[in-house]
Amino acid sequence: MSALPPVLVDRRGFLGLVGAGAILTLAACAPAAGGGGGTASTTLRWAAGSQPWSWDPVVQGSGFQFNQLSLVYASLTEIDEDGVVQPGLAESWEYDEAGTSVTFHLREGLVFTDGTPLDAAAVAAYILRAKGQEDSAIAGDLTSIADAVADSDTDVRLTLTQVDHQIPLLLGRRVAQITSPAVAPDDLTAAPVGAGPFRVVELVPESHVHLERNPDFYRADEIHIERVELSWGIEASSLVSALQTGVYDFADIPAAQAQAAEAAGLDVTVHPGFNASNLSVNGTKTPFDDPIVLEAARYAIDRQELVDTLTFGYGAPTSQPFPEGYVAWSADVEDPWPFDADRARELLEGAGYGPGDLAVELVVSTDEPQHEVLQRQLGAVGIDVSIRVDPNWNEPFFGKQLALSTYGTTGRESPVQTLTAHFGEAGPLNLSGVASPEFLAAVQLARETPLDSPDYPANLQAATAAGVRTTSTIFTFSLPNLFAKRGLSDLPQIPGQIHWTGVRLEA
Amino acid sequence: MTATASAPPVSARGASPLATIVRLRSARIAGVILLGVLVLATLGPTLAPYDPLQNTSDILAAPSAAHWLGTDYLGRDVLSRLLAGSPVSVLGAVQVTVIALVVGALPGILSVYLGRVFEWLTLRVVDTLIALPFLVFAVAMTALLGNGITQAMLAVGLLVSPIFYRVARAAALEAVGAQYAEAAQLAGASTWWIVRRHVIAKVLPPIGVALANTMGAGLVVVASLTFLGIGVQPPAPTWGGVLASDLGYLGYRPYAPLFPTVLIMLTVWAFNLLADAIRDASGASGRALLHRARGGLGRTGTAVAPSVPSPPTPSERDAEGAVCVPSESAASEAPVSVASASDPSDTASERGTR
Repeated sequence: MSALPPVLVDRRGFLGLVGAGAILTLAACAPAAGGGGGTASTTLRWAAGSQPWSWDPVVQGSGFQFNQLSLVYASLTEIDEDGVVQPGLAESWEYDEAGTSVTFHLREGLVFTDGTPLDAAAVAAYILRAKGQEDSAIAGDLTSIADAVADSDTDVRLTLTQVDHQIPLLLGRRVAQITSPAVAPDDLTAAPVGAGPFRVVELVPESHVHLERNPDFYRADEIHIERVELSWGIEASSLVSALQTGVYDFADIPAAQAQAAEAAGLDVTVHPGFNASNLSVNGTKTPFDDPIVLEAARYAIDRQELVDTLTFGYGAPTSQPFPEGYVAWSADVEDPWPFDADRARELLEGAGYGPGDLAVELVVSTDEPQHEVLQRQLGAVGIDVSIRVDPNWNEPFFGKQLALSTYGTTGRESPVQTLTAHFGEAGPLNLSGVASPEFLAAVQLARETPLDSPDYPANLQAATAAGVRTTSTIFTFSLPNLFAKRGLSDLPQIPGQIHWTGVRLEA
Repeated sequence: MTATASAPPVSARGASPLATIVRLRSARIAGVILLGVLVLATLGPTLAPYDPLQNTSDILAAPSAAHWLGTDYLGRDVLSRLLAGSPVSVLGAVQVTVIALVVGALPGILSVYLGRVFEWLTLRVVDTLIALPFLVFAVAMTALLGNGITQAMLAVGLLVSPIFYRVARAAALEAVGAQYAEAAQLAGASTWWIVRRHVIAKVLPPIGVALANTMGAGLVVVASLTFLGIGVQPPAPTWGGVLASDLGYLGYRPYAPLFPTVLIMLTVWAFNLLADAIRDASGASGRALLHRARGGLGRTGTAVAPSVPSPPTPSERDAEGAVCVPSESAASEAPVSVASASDPSDTASERGTR
């Protein structure tokens, strides 16, 4: 469920890289395996910072690395450039009158790469597994689904616990990458089997995965890449030269490397997405349990400074988890707490807080420049922040034990899912773990509104505004994913997702 | 109980070891650099022209009159950050050295005197410590004891203490078998008196070499750990931390890593130079150097030491007060690293004096 921005290798990871680098060098020397796919012009070499948490999509969850899993797995539905739901493995779906049951109609003749048929039973089994598996990272996203039943070979009927018109959006790449039922879940990590555009030839954890084109993929005729060699653990500062010298064809790069990449003649593209960073404030912990302190913290954040300092011209300030122009973006909360350090100081002084009275620990997962900026901005109004990098940050963060942290979401296909993740009581990204009745009512209305209803945008935006106003999370800035590539045609501009359909390698 | 404390008889013959060291050009260069480092370590934060934590909108700026070394990724003055980071970086190295000295040298000397059980036990402990990779161990210690330079340096200090143990033991082994020591023992001198009078003086020069060397190594360790983000919490500046952050922005400031690197290299180089100078000026080679200087054969201030040790003159061995000039070749054989240390336990069987 974590959705960190694409952090490449941190300093500690660097030690491990020395070893990983040696393996990569050896791998590069090995002759390309597979018949006919070995020529450079049809092999995509992709450098990624980190490998997926797991190759079982149920365990991997919504973190950005789901884009690596989607090489192997196909999902029930897809989204288009505007984030609108489109057919995937399911070519259509229909709700019942009440909106408490939805039936997905699968394409005919779908098959996993191990030969197992991808039928309604396989999809139902996946959804039930995602709901019930102990280490499932997406069970929390599936609370609307009561049961999954295969009505025929191609019809999967989902019965719902509440009226929820977001299900087709929900069952996209982050939540419903369908796995072969013939493979035990524990074995997927070593040998992932799906029905995606590629199939795994060789998987060496923490080093690389080599894949070849899957001729049985339902859109195989649009896949022009014969072979993918995905390598992990590439140090960010060496990415540009690795691409420049032709070691790799494609990488996501930090904004700081964009200028160097362009200077090196690489093709740097800004990929659309739902990325949004936030300062996760826990409104139930000291000192933020005092609404005055929370209010002061909201006015203390200078988003423009964060953007100017950290994003190298690619970012934008934001106060909500959606980009402007997206259906869920609310004009009401465009900038509800504009930066005003004087006002923040006055609020704290008025409440009787003197210098040194307010101290809080900012516990974060990695050492990032934004923390130092946030520390100074809060310090400037009288909230003393000490930064602690905790390698085991996941546990206290998702356990909602921290008073202050940061998070960067890459979004969700379903905007309601994004909203409940950030503002819902059980939302993994809601550090307070408290939801206002106002938000819950608004989000329920949005959930119950059919996607094609004229009221859908307004209801959704009302839920966004309610969530932003009543939750202590402070959104800061958005920085889109930047890709550097060489000899590769443009990728489909699907927000937050990396698609390879239609992409060609140019000689 | 230092060599210089019993200086009169030595200076009567020419110069104290300290004076000999100062004569060496390499020592003077090292001294000047280390004096500069000392100033940085004590006054660095005061000398910093800007607040090292104050970020500005002028990020990743090139060196200019306002910012001599430019600004970093948050627009902070790099010179100020390097200056402000000096105490942590240098004191970390001092901490490693002091811990290693205290933990290593005394048991090293005592291992010769306190009987076979103590000797065997300490040797095995030292062997164990040598087998542990100290950088990795330091990382583990910070995970265990909390992320701080002090915790990390405690671990590193313990793990490099075998250098001192072995150096001190090797030198003490030689002293314990010497005839003047036996004579003192026969004359009724206590072990502690012999250690104080004969052994310490013999042990000091190689310890001095090891000390200077460990300072250099300690600085590299501190820089490495802070480079990896271990032992410091952002935004505290350190030399290694500045270097690490520079690497993320090579596209903007490709020369930036040079500043902290040069600082680290110069300091380490000066410590190694000092270690060389102490070695050259002490023991047999030191006497040869002095002799050459007195005889007009040598050029004052050269760092070249003759490799042939001159045999100790009787006058250096006889009178009980005069043995503070280190004799024999212990100093010139002083190990400069764990790897080059000869195993003192090999020579244990050669001792027949107890």
